[in-house]
Amino acid sequence: MERNTTVRDTSFIASTGKEIKSASITSTNNGISTVYSGRRNPRRPFRWLNPGVILPLLAGILFLFLWEFQVFHKLLDLKKYQLPLPSAIAEAMRDNFSLLLSYTGYTLAEAAAGMLIGSACGFLIALAATAWPRWGGGSLTLVAALNAVPIVALAPIMNLWFGDGIGSRAAIVTATTMAAMAINAYKGMSAVDPLALDLMHSYAAGKPAVFRYLRIRNSLPYVFTAFKINTTASMIGAIVGEFFFSSRGLGYLLSNSVKVAKMPLGWSCIVLAAIAGVIFYLIVERLEKVFIKWHSSQRA
Amino acid sequence: MKGNSTFMRDRVLPLFVWIFGLLAVWEAVSWWLLHVSKTPLAQSKLPYVHEVAATLWKYSSTLLKEGGATFGNAGVGFLIGAAAGVLLAVLMSLSKTVEQLAFPYAVASQMIPILGLAPIIYGIVRDEQVSRIIISGYITFFPVALNMLRGLRSVDLPAVELMHSLAAKPWAVYWKLRFPAALPGLFSGLKIAAPLAVTGAILVELMGAQHGIGVIMLRNLYYGPSHTYMFWSTVLVGALLGIASYWLMSLVERLAAPWQPEFRPKGGSR
Repeated sequence: MERNTTVRDTSFIASTGKEIKSASITSTNNGISTVYSGRRNPRRPFRWLNPGVILPLLAGILFLFLWEFQVFHKLLDLKKYQLPLPSAIAEAMRDNFSLLLSYTGYTLAEAAAGMLIGSACGFLIALAATAWPRWGGGSLTLVAALNAVPIVALAPIMNLWFGDGIGSRAAIVTATTMAAMAINAYKGMSAVDPLALDLMHSYAAGKPAVFRYLRIRNSLPYVFTAFKINTTASMIGAIVGEFFFSSRGLGYLLSNSVKVAKMPLGWSCIVLAAIAGVIFYLIVERLEKVFIKWHSSQRA
Repeated sequence: MKGNSTFMRDRVLPLFVWIFGLLAVWEAVSWWLLHVSKTPLAQSKLPYVHEVAATLWKYSSTLLKEGGATFGNAGVGFLIGAAAGVLLAVLMSLSKTVEQLAFPYAVASQMIPILGLAPIIYGIVRDEQVSRIIISGYITFFPVALNMLRGLRSVDLPAVELMHSLAAKPWAVYWKLRFPAALPGLFSGLKIAAPLAVTGAILVELMGAQHGIGVIMLRNLYYGPSHTYMFWSTVLVGALLGIASYWLMSLVERLAAPWQPEFRPKGGSR
């Protein structure tokens, strides 16, 4: 049964989401549903005891053990100050808990603000590109080119423009999240069912009505895919932006603690960034469930 | 021939108008910042385009050399990461156990800000060359593995059954059916990873290295307003490297998997 879901899901995504950017996280989402599909199955009494949960859990624990007992250090010839032990990381996290928590909040705020602005811009670009294909299409190409610009090249410029505040990082995140949204939303708006389009024409619906009732609705699943991609991208953008020119935030603390050789603190920044990223992703996924309940990818 | 001319009119002309319009607006805003609003550091914030272009031309040999160093290292890491990703994807498609072991971690690693690891890896390795390659490879690895797996899985079930009924050996199924079917997925992974690999390489260079475009970028940023054109040229080179890597992957995709709908003269599925 599990096997079946996997194949159906993947083929579904392969037929619709051939888009460059939509690929990675779509499969991510797909993977999660594959892994936990045993849990949703009410017929199985020991639903936690299926190999899809137990195996990776055991592997993770084994990995941490090997790390804690310095097997990796011996294999790769590393010193403890180069790769701190998990216990040291946990201790560093406990000692600096309130500082780390406030910095995580700061970075997350930057990421969320930038993602909202960037996604809004991307959506507007997609609207324009669909409404006026001939001239709007060019803007899509420009946005895709902007996406290929490395964040590290954007970051110093944004710092010059917006100074050392939440603004400059939000701007970096905006620039990095715009393209995924524009490209995905455009795909959703243009890949409407031709029969539905014909029906709208036969009702003498104008362009605004077609957009309102057909295209925007059709783009919603793609929009949420873009949101999910952008959660990761925006965390990366915010953290990398903080490497350059900042006085607060996880990225600042990370690069600083590596500079002064406080590796456990640096690692705890990474751990917190990962946790924050996962929470951010889960929130978006929750919203997706609420907003596009009707879509086939959301049905069990 | 007619199809070609409509392509020129409908696709290329608007793009050129966009680009020239953007450059004109840029030049105008730059002039306005410098002469009308007299913003401090006006040229650092938005320099004249022609000055940047002139600097780009003047120092082209240096920029080309350093850019080449970055691109080469990113490329090596990219190839290693891509090979490892393909290997993992094949293993995952062969064995359910490997998939159950690796997939959750592959998914989780997508949510870790991977570029954030750059200073840590640099701190461990303390060698610019190796850490650049590691970061580029690490970034490439997961998108490639996930997309390749998706591709390997997306084969037509009747086709697999047909091959089974013809008593095809497993490697024949892989070689003749699954790999060709996985190519589009592989390339979408590679296209995500290629610009990121360049970004990762530049990021490591910014942490402190001897060669590469990131080193000159940082140096010129610290020298302040007098080096602003050079700084913008390095930014431009970094951007071009990112775009070039993406473009290169698209070109390879066109050569290796030319049957996809988006390469047909009239958009196949639409």
